[in-house]
Parts: sequence; C-alpha cells; structure tokens
Amino acid sequence: MKIAYYFILILFCWSCSSDASDGDATTPTDDDAMTVTNPLLDFTVPSNFPDATYSIAQNPPTEKGFELGKKLFYDGQLASDGVVSCGFCHIQSFSFTHHTHITSHGVDGQIGTRNAQPLHNLAFMNEFTWDGAATFLDTQPIIPITAEVEMNETVSNVLSKLSADDDYPTLFAEAFGSEGVSADRMFKALSQFMVMMVSANSKYDKWERGEAVTFTDQEHAGRAVFNTKCASCHAGTLQTDQSYRNNGLPIDPVYNDIGRERVTGLSTDNRKFKVPSLRNIEITFPYMHDGRLGTLEDVLDFYTDGMVDSPTLDDQFRRPDGTFGLDISPEEKVQLIAFLKTLTDNDFIEDRRFAEF
Amino acid sequence: MRKYIALLAGVAILFTACNNNDEPGNIISDPGSLNLVFENTVDGTPLAMAPVTYTNSSNETYTINELKYIISNITLIKTDNTEYIYPVENSYFLINEDGSKTANLSDIPADTYKGIKFGFGVDPTKYPIESGTLNFIPLAEEAGMLWTWSAGYKFLKFEGDFTDATNPDDVTPFLYHVGSHGANLDNYKEVTLTLNEFQISGENTMSKTIQFDVAKIFDSVHTLSLEEKNEIMVDPENAPKIAENTSTAFSIIE
Ligand code: HEC
Ligand code: HEC
Repeated sequence: MKIAYYFILILFCWSCSSDASDGDATTPTDDDAMTVTNPLLDFTVPSNFPDATYSIAQNPPTEKGFELGKKLFYDGQLASDGVVSCGFCHIQSFSFTHHTHITSHGVDGQIGTRNAQPLHNLAFMNEFTWDGAATFLDTQPIIPITAEVEMNETVSNVLSKLSADDDYPTLFAEAFGSEGVSADRMFKALSQFMVMMVSANSKYDKWERGEAVTFTDQEHAGRAVFNTKCASCHAGTLQTDQSYRNNGLPIDPVYNDIGRERVTGLSTDNRKFKVPSLRNIEITFPYMHDGRLGTLEDVLDFYTDGMVDSPTLDDQFRRPDGTFGLDISPEEKVQLIAFLKTLTDNDFIEDRRFAEF
Repeated sequence: MRKYIALLAGVAILFTACNNNDEPGNIISDPGSLNLVFENTVDGTPLAMAPVTYTNSSNETYTINELKYIISNITLIKTDNTEYIYPVENSYFLINEDGSKTANLSDIPADTYKGIKFGFGVDPTKYPIESGTLNFIPLAEEAGMLWTWSAGYKFLKFEGDFTDATNPDDVTPFLYHVGSHGANLDNYKEVTLTLNEFQISGENTMSKTIQFDVAKIFDSVHTLSLEEKNEIMVDPENAPKIAENTSTAFSIIE
C-alpha cells in the first residue's frame, strides 16, 4: 500500500522570537504562521533493483528539498570562481559525467587526476568515488567543493554565500520547515536531488522486468558472453559487486594513482578501483578512472591485449600460460558492445526533473 | 495519516514550548547545565606548547605545536545506571589546546549522576545520517580537522618537532593525524569515566575537569617511537595504536 501524506511545514520562528528585543524594522509584522505544502516525492525501488543503501527514511526527498538540491547542484556559487557548479562536470546528457575532458577540469581550468563519474542509482551504492573515499552520499560533496582542482572552496564560505543570497534562505526554510541555512540542510538537499536520479528504464531493465521488449540475437549473445566473462565483477542489475579491484591498467606515471590504497593505507589495495556500474556506459565515455580509453572497442581491446601484471592484479585475469587478460573473440566483442548498449536509458538522460534548464 | 497527526502534534508542542517559561509552578527541578573542561597535560603537568620540551619513553624529546581532538556522543550515567544520552546533533566538540577546551552541555534533566561516556572521534554509525551531525563540518573544516579528500574527520591532530637522544641537533617535525579509514577501519573509541556522584539541577551549572594526558599518545597500551615513524596519517598499522592509546588518555580530576 502506498501512503501518500504531506508535511505541513509551518514557519513558526517569528512567534518564538517575538519576545526578543530586536527592533529590526524589517521584522515581519504578520505574525500568522505561513503554511507551505511540501509533498514527499515518490522514491520507488525498481522491481529489478536491490534494496536502497541510502537511508531514505532519514532524509526523505520532498518536492522543496529536491528543488533546493537541484538549484545547489547547478549553482556556481558552490565554487570559488562562481562558475564551476556540480553540473559543470556532471552533465545530464552524458548520464551526469563529463565528455570533453579526459580527467575533470575545475576552477581556473585546473585539471584533476580522475574521470568524473556518472551520477545515477547512487541510492544503491555503499561507497562513493573511484576509490570509495566517501562513505556517505551526504558527505561526498565535501570532496568536490574543497578540492583545489575542482571547486576550490570551503564549506563555511559556501554557507555564508548562501545565507547572504536573496533566494536561498527562503528555499531552505520551505524545504526543511524552519529558518536556517546550514551544512546539514545543504548536504541533505543535495542528496535528495541525487538520490532521485534512478536510471532504470533501459532496454535491459525492461527485458529484466519482462516488459514488452525483445533482445536481438546479438544482444542475447552479448549478454551470455557478459555473464561468463564480466559478471563476476560487474555483477547483478547494476553491474557492480561494489568491490575494489585491479583490472590491469598500466600505471600512468603522471598521476601515479594508487587507488584504494589511498583510503585504506593497505599495500594490498594498491591500484585497485571500484568496479563501476556499466549503466549508460555507451554515453559515459571516456572510460576507466582516468578516462584513458575513448571507446568501448578500446575497452574490450584492453581487456584482451592491454593488461599489465602487478602484485594486486585480479586473479581472474591471470591465464594458465602466465599471460594476462580475458579471451574474447572479435565476434564476441561485437556482441558484448551490442549488449552494453541495451544499458542506455534515454528516459533518464532526458528526464526534465533533473535538467538544468 | 498517523505521521501527519504526529507532525501536527510536534508543531503544537513547539508552539507551547515557546510559552513554557512563562508558566509558574514546575513540578520538578529545571534541567541544568554541565561544563566539561578538558585539561591537556603531559605526565600530570599542564601542557605547554613549543618551545617547552617533553620526553617520551623512547627517549625522544619533543615539542608540541598543535593539539586538537574531537569529542562526541556524550552520555551521562545516572546513579541507577540508566543513561541520559545528550542530543547527538549537539554533542560534537572540538577540543583545541589553542582554543576552546570546554564542552558546554545544557538542558540536562535534573538528577544525580555518577559517570560519563563519550566518544573519541566520530562514530561511523551515527555520522552523518542522524540529523544535525553534518553541522559540525564547517567548524572541523576551519580547524583543519577534516580530511577533505575523503570527506572524513580527523579525530586527532597532533603535531610538533622532535629530536632523539643520539642526534640532539637534528630537529625533525612529527605529525599524527588519526581518523577512520573510509569504511575499512574504524578508529572511533568510546571512553567511560566514573565520577563522584554529582547533582544536575537548574539552580547551578556544574563543571567537571577531564584530564587528557598527552604522554599517553606515545606510551600506553602501545609504545610509539617518533624515530621509527614521524608521520602517521592513513596508516592501518599505527593509526589504530594511536587511537587506542589516546582512548586511555582521559581521566577525571576531582
Ligand atoms: C571539477 C569537476 C567536478 C565537479 C565540479 C564536481 N565533481 Fe563530482 N566527481 C568528479 C570526479 C572526477 C569524480 C570521481 C572522484 C574520485 O574518484 O576521486 C566525481 C565523483 C562524484 C560522485 C561519486 C559518484 C560515485 O558513483 O561514487 C558524486 C556523488 C559526485 N561526484 C557529486 C558531485 C556533487 C554533488 C558536486 C557539486 C557539489 C560535484 N560532484 C562536483 C568531478 C567533479
Ligand atoms: C576482475 C574484475 C573485472 C572483470 C572480470 C571485468 N571488469 Fe570491467 N572493470 C573492473 C574494474 C575494477 C574497473 C575500473 C578500473 C579502473 O578504472 O581503474 C572496470 C572498468 C570497466 C569499464 C569502464 C567503466 C567506466 O565507467 O569507465 C568497462 C566498460 C568495463 N570494465 C567493461 C568490462 C567488460 C565488458 C568485462 C568483460 C569482458 C569486464 N569489464 C570484466 C573490473 C572488472
């Protein structure tokens, strides 16, 4: 049963502070509580999805919270230059990743070391970023806001800008039911926006749910190859077991990215990165944590011929003869790519709810 | 529908709460306040920053430039062993040798208490989902207690210089930054201290001094030598040792 109910949000603060001695001329004369309805949004777990990991009950997305989160997401004020918003690197038409650059570009054109990740189905992830540095979606935005090569700002300064803004104080009050621009509310609003980004309407989803779609022979064949050669890591509906693994990419001496070891300090985690979901993979190029591979063909050629050995290379890539890689025939590659393209969800990338304009 | 009613009731309570202070004739004593004053010491004497020197059990002489730590999740234990959990969202405190060293707690139910429990660091199960805990971020950020690259808190920031006995002229900086390592390693520790029974009531503000013995960071359950390692941050071997040592550094002075 679906329970639809409404929060009645009452701005009661003035009635409480009326005994305070601030004779501010702009104090509202109307003491009547102002009422704003703020309906809960319908966050439904698609029937072919696992349970959400995000605690929806603790931060239930509401209409106003979502709108606030969206405004923040597309607002350059979160960056020191007033320009680089979250949406600058996370572009909806590419499933919220960034195309024109291999690794991300931030404030003053500074270049990051990693490829912007797509943002979809975040409510189902345990940890965030390529190495799992962020354990909570609510705190993840601290990373881009403060990173010199991204938004190069401080959380405190963002909050002062928002407090001084003409619109934000009202929007915060409407979203959370009382006055106050705070870090907690800012992060929760961003989460409300991001949690709603569920991509579950690809051809693959419809096929999984038994809706009226048919896979071509190639797509079927590709799915079978995927299940035997890829699904041990790219597991389940979201194509990730959410583990960290080394898939044999040669180390890039410029970045020398140690991967998961940065978070755990363990040498056994050296050069391991999170197994990415492959949803919308057709449009989220370039590929890998540093965006080094431009096309899906490149990715598959890498899996067959491009791997290098290192102590943490995943065992699945070790061939009995001592070489590394997966055995995929040229025909299977074509089939795999056909299958991977069934993961594209046009409804998601065209969903007006998430659009900047 | 039930939630709707509950919410309206909640709002109604908020309204009446505003007027409560006008109403005479309270049945029991008003809630009171408790100030926890953290006193940083080294082997029992009040800590002094550089250039004052101290020596650890590895015979290394050190000076201190910075000492900060995070205290959270404060719980007061009543004489009947029941607990009063201080509102989590208000229970995060930064203790800074060069700044505030007091955790001011207010609105504590009037009662007789005999113990206090608190966290060293930030509990990963309470952070950040429970309402309000994210509000500690700006303060931690300004104090340099945030690992911004991983959106995690540093529980302890302890920095200075040291020389070892064999090389007294060779001054080397040291740095201990301890926090949790993503979801992989939890360095949060719970500390419980027993006190003489004390009364909380609306009539006066109680104050209790908690001593933090810096020497224990190096020498307690584990012995840490600066010569062996002078920079410890995300270090799965040593960071847990520091966290464990640090959790033994608190005691009550009465
Ligand atoms: C300069 C480009 C840039 C900006 C601006 C930016 N991001 Fe990102 N985003 C990235 C990159 C690069 C990564 C991968 C980071 C890593 O692995 O270290 C990422 C990762 C993420 C992730 C993790 C996704 C996952 O699947 O784990 C989330 C969530 C996210 N960004 C949200 C945001 C939000 C919210 C903002 C605005 C506050 C923002 N980003 C601003 C480039 C950017
Ligand atoms: C042993 C685990 C494992 C197996 C098996 C595996 N992958 Fe991966 N895959 C990974 C990891 C880990 C990454 C991320 C590596 C990085 O960026 O450093 C990745 C990255 C990718 C990417 C890039 C995704 C992006 O968002 O940039 C694609 C595409 C991909 N894999 C497809 C496949 C296909 C197709 C197969 C089967 C032929 C396969 N993988 C088999 C672990 C695996």
